[in-house]
Amino acid sequence: MNEDELLVRLRAAFQALDPIPEDVLAAGRSAITWRRPDAALAELADDHNRPLPAGVRGVTTRLLTFAGTELSVEIEVTGTERSNRELTGRLVPACDAHVRVRHLTYAHDVLSTRTDKAGQFVLPRVPEGLVSLEFHLSDATSVVTSWVRL
Amino acid sequence: MALEEELHEQLDEATADLVVRARDGDGAAWSRLVDRYSGLLWSIARSFGLNEADGGDVVQMTWLRLIERMDQIAEPGAVGGWLATTARRESLRTAQRSGTRRLPYDVREDAAPPPEQILLARERLGDVAAALQALPRRCQVLLRMLALAPSYAELAAALDIPIGSIGPTRARCLDNLQRRLPR
Repeated sequence: MNEDELLVRLRAAFQALDPIPEDVLAAGRSAITWRRPDAALAELADDHNRPLPAGVRGVTTRLLTFAGTELSVEIEVTGTERSNRELTGRLVPACDAHVRVRHLTYAHDVLSTRTDKAGQFVLPRVPEGLVSLEFHLSDATSVVTSWVRL
Repeated sequence: MALEEELHEQLDEATADLVVRARDGDGAAWSRLVDRYSGLLWSIARSFGLNEADGGDVVQMTWLRLIERMDQIAEPGAVGGWLATTARRESLRTAQRSGTRRLPYDVREDAAPPPEQILLARERLGDVAAALQALPRRCQVLLRMLALAPSYAELAAALDIPIGSIGPTRARCLDNLQRRLPR
């Protein structure tokens, strides 16, 4: 068997043994619908769990920092329920914005809120999954965060 | 230029073309890009021992990362290597999060295909599938990536090994496989 034939049969063997699920392919194709060419990206710069104070058990807190060119987003994630997360966030520098959750699994359920004067916001029940936040600022510009798994 | 290199160059051009068209909003070009690379991304995730759900997450996260920085891509032709590297990083992160203790190149029980599928593979692909299963895990992974990666640059990124060391490793694994096949 020459090498090209062998590679063809290898591809077929792996395709039969462990095919990529069709829904994974379909999700990849539809990923383009999440594109926001007009929004600035705030990239994930830090992701760590905060150690619990001594004597406290149970809920851990995860701290996410997204850094953009003009705006950073700090988010604290607490797991209040098994399938829902509470997000407490802050825009730095503080500014007024409409906040919307972009959720891969619940694309059509709009979960949104506004920041207060200090640039803070709370989203009390965000289902776990792949999530990105979108901010519409008062000057009509938008910022989106990188996607993260909650 | 060797024929193989020439083919790779053409493929790179085509990939660059797809990226540029997708950036301009061509959904069909995006789908072709997804169809071309998802198999490689899936096999990277599986090489880290991730189950189907986590593997699917890694592939999806990798595509979303590309969507995020679509406008910042300096070399659209090199996007395959970038995708492979991103999938590795996401796989590692996912494996750590889900407490997968096994290292890449290790097989997890839940990664094993159903028996009837193996049987089918044996019947249809016979010797190659059977020979593959007798190879060291590292060779299985390399051959899988080799069969799926469009170019050496992408293969190097998928395996996280220097491009120069691919030749010998590839030759050794192919030779190992050939020796297990009936003449």
